[in-house]
Amino acid sequence: MALNNSTNSNGANGKYAAEAHGLNIYYGAFQAVRDIRLQIERQKITALIGPSGCGKSTVLRAFNRMNDLIPVARTEGNVLFHGKNIYDPDVDAVEVRRRVGMVFQKPNPFPKSIYENIAWGAKINGYKGNLDDLVEESLRGAALWDEVKDKLKESGYSLSGGQQQRLCIARAIAIKPDIILMDEPCSALDPIATLRVEELMKELTEHYTIIIVTHNMQQAARVSDYTAFFTVKDDRTGYLEEFGVTKEMFTRPKSQVTEDYITGRFG
Amino acid sequence: MAVEKRPNGAFPQDEAYTGFVRKRRRVGTFFRTLFLLATVLGIVILALLVLDVANDAFGYVAVQNRIDPETLIDRYYKTQMLAMPRTLTSEDDVVLADGIAARPGAIGFFGLSYYQDRSEQLRALNIDGVAPTTDNAVSDDYLLGRPLFLYTSQGNLLRQPQVAAFVNFYLNNAAQVAEEVGYVNASAENLAEGLSQWERATSLTASTVDTLYPASGAIRVAGSSTVQPITQRMAERFQAELPFSGEFSIDGGGTLAGFQRLCRDQDIDLADASRAMERPDVAVCRNNKIEPLAFVVGADAITVAVSQQNDFLNGITREQLRQIFIFIGAERWNEVDPSWPDSAILRFIPGEDSGTLDFFVAQVFGDSLEELPKEDLLAILTANISAGRLRALNAERSLVDRAQEEMVELVLSEVVRPDVVESWSFTESLFNRDEIDAEVATIPNAVLEFKAWLNWDFITSPQSSNPTLAGIRTAILGSLWVTLIAFLVAVPLGVGAATYLEEYSKGSKLDGLIETNINNLAGVPSIIYGMLGLAVFVRYFGEITSGIAFGAADPSTGNGRTILSAGLTLGLLILPLVIINAREAIRAVPRAFREASYGLGATKWQTTWSHVLPNAIPGILTGVILSVSRAFGETAPLIVVGVSTFIVVDPSGPFSKFTTLPVQIFQWTSRPQEEFQRLAAAAILALLFLLLALNATAIYLRNRFKRNY
Repeated sequence: MALNNSTNSNGANGKYAAEAHGLNIYYGAFQAVRDIRLQIERQKITALIGPSGCGKSTVLRAFNRMNDLIPVARTEGNVLFHGKNIYDPDVDAVEVRRRVGMVFQKPNPFPKSIYENIAWGAKINGYKGNLDDLVEESLRGAALWDEVKDKLKESGYSLSGGQQQRLCIARAIAIKPDIILMDEPCSALDPIATLRVEELMKELTEHYTIIIVTHNMQQAARVSDYTAFFTVKDDRTGYLEEFGVTKEMFTRPKSQVTEDYITGRFG
Repeated sequence: MAVEKRPNGAFPQDEAYTGFVRKRRRVGTFFRTLFLLATVLGIVILALLVLDVANDAFGYVAVQNRIDPETLIDRYYKTQMLAMPRTLTSEDDVVLADGIAARPGAIGFFGLSYYQDRSEQLRALNIDGVAPTTDNAVSDDYLLGRPLFLYTSQGNLLRQPQVAAFVNFYLNNAAQVAEEVGYVNASAENLAEGLSQWERATSLTASTVDTLYPASGAIRVAGSSTVQPITQRMAERFQAELPFSGEFSIDGGGTLAGFQRLCRDQDIDLADASRAMERPDVAVCRNNKIEPLAFVVGADAITVAVSQQNDFLNGITREQLRQIFIFIGAERWNEVDPSWPDSAILRFIPGEDSGTLDFFVAQVFGDSLEELPKEDLLAILTANISAGRLRALNAERSLVDRAQEEMVELVLSEVVRPDVVESWSFTESLFNRDEIDAEVATIPNAVLEFKAWLNWDFITSPQSSNPTLAGIRTAILGSLWVTLIAFLVAVPLGVGAATYLEEYSKGSKLDGLIETNINNLAGVPSIIYGMLGLAVFVRYFGEITSGIAFGAADPSTGNGRTILSAGLTLGLLILPLVIINAREAIRAVPRAFREASYGLGATKWQTTWSHVLPNAIPGILTGVILSVSRAFGETAPLIVVGVSTFIVVDPSGPFSKFTTLPVQIFQWTSRPQEEFQRLAAAAILALLFLLLALNATAIYLRNRFKRNY
């Protein structure tokens, strides 16, 4: 067992759920991000912002080794999770993903029933408890239970876009991860559904650590505790320009580039 | 930069723009019409193809029987009747009439005129409530009566005054002559009608008939030997009483021969007939531009009579007649009807060569096999086939247990043995009916019937060298077996390979080679696969494909030319198709499903099994449907692998010899006889229906998968 199983102990990472050190990610010969260093605090929301092509999604996916699915992608550096580098040869990416869940840009429920959408992840991960309870608990956790409790056998696609995204969140929390990665989870949703998801994120911090990629600076300002601003120069390789407490960054950015970006002068 | 008044000035404006939009729409309309035409053309061509095949598969056939069912029935019942105990036979009706009159327990039958002479001593029985009177006999209401005719044509009456004169004399004197020779006279009305018909045809009247005399020239008559005595007598009187200096020639030959000589050969002027012309007879005449004229000249009627001393019989039914007069029927009166006395039945019937007996048998016992009871059919079968064949049939299933319909079928196929001697397509049957009738009339003993070559018997019968008996059961079963094996080989292998290439392959050089190879294999001519199958499955793995390795060998299939070899060959043939289609289907599964699955900590296999393959199934099935249809219709590789072209034994398993439907069709189309072409057409329709059914099932299944979520 390579990864520490306890979610509550401080572990080797101390107050951090995950840390990235010297992260360089390449797509073939092209370097996508350079030398990223990030510390994700437990039970907080960390927002990754930046202009298009700055590599913020690539960094997010580095936290659960989703980049492994891209044949040409190569990752250098460390991502520490419970004190263990998840890129060590003795760590299985499947195990990482079970501990670091993910919600995607477009809602992507499985073409199965609402119930099955949530139960499937638990089943393949060897869950031995009561599935009905788990489904209810997860749907309540994603603030969806009241809306779907009478139609659990219906297709996940019978739901509205916002409901589908909350179903995906419920699916992610059903396998009890430590961290939930969210890749622009509200970009396909209308403002009301967005608000709903944002409220949900706040509630989720009670148990989970969240890393969110967003294009929406107001959203980052509204929901996140920490913000990491990535940007890119002429070499098209993204880097971390500034990382800090959200309130401070939005009021007193240290870097001029950050200020230009958050005030809307570029990006 | 100056602001233009119209910043979009480079675009067409106002009306010009409206015109431009309309033009662009016209382009769309043009293409829509083009596509619609292409679709319609496709449908029309397809429909034409099917119709063309169907046209050959339905139509009239001329069937010639090895033995006529009527003759068969007639011969059987006559033997039965003559073998009855307490039966007196005589060629002389007077003997019969007197014999019955003297005995209260007697029953018998003879010509109606003999009864009319002895109505004091005899009682004529109503049959099914109809009295044996002259009128009933002429009008055909009475079971044992039939009108007699003289046929000629308008042309004969006009061109040959001596014929017109003779017919006129015939009609004027027929009221006595028929009875003189032992028949029933035609009614006054019938004769009057005949005369007025004669007047219309000749434009003469009773007062101008004398202009025909003195007459000379030949008068040639032929036809029914039943009517012949009346005509003979009439000719004698005509020669004696009227100024006629010509020659009479009067032949028999039967009614049909008379009609044919009158219309087709045109070597007689008058035809004697014991039945009216039917459609085919009229057709022959019309085809030869002859308008036939019919005159009723008398009636043939048989009376069933008992003695006046008999006190319990007034009428009788056809059913009771059957029981009384045949061997396996009743011995005593009360066996027929319990209210009748317990005394022996004495029978008086005409002799074996008598036309009266033939007529009685045909009318009472029927002239079609369908009307006969099971026991009689069994007796007919027993009397007409070899003992060995009888044992074989009995071994298949006890003959006594078989239903009447089955027995009819057996008698037809074993004894009557109908043979199609001529056949026509549906359009010919529809539009050239008269020509067909005329042609059939030239074939001795041929009967015209409408035949659907595609029928249930055709589907359920094995192959045969006789086109009337041939069917496609063996071929259908062979096709299904071969296709099943091809399916079992190609689908798991194909879907497996596609999954590997799409989900696991890392794009190495070897993978690239495999991929190119598969794409190329899809284009290899099917006969090459046949040669591969011959070399590998038939020759090299012959031990396995013939089943010898499993100890299940049939010596006739020891050479490996079995269903298994063919199925494996077709499986290889469709494998590239299955792989290519399955790959497309797998590739079309959204990346989002895979990411969602991996994001939950699923392994590659869990993702593939639970999400990729289920979502690819509709697409994979589409490929499988196309491939299996291809395998089902494939012919060339099977011929190389060694399909049997003529086989009557159903395949019993993968190690059997076999034939398939397309091979069967191919074999039939290469035969010169027209009947086999019709069989081929019917088999093509059956193939189409089968493919349609297979595909419909597959599409239904696919849609169910699609509907799931």
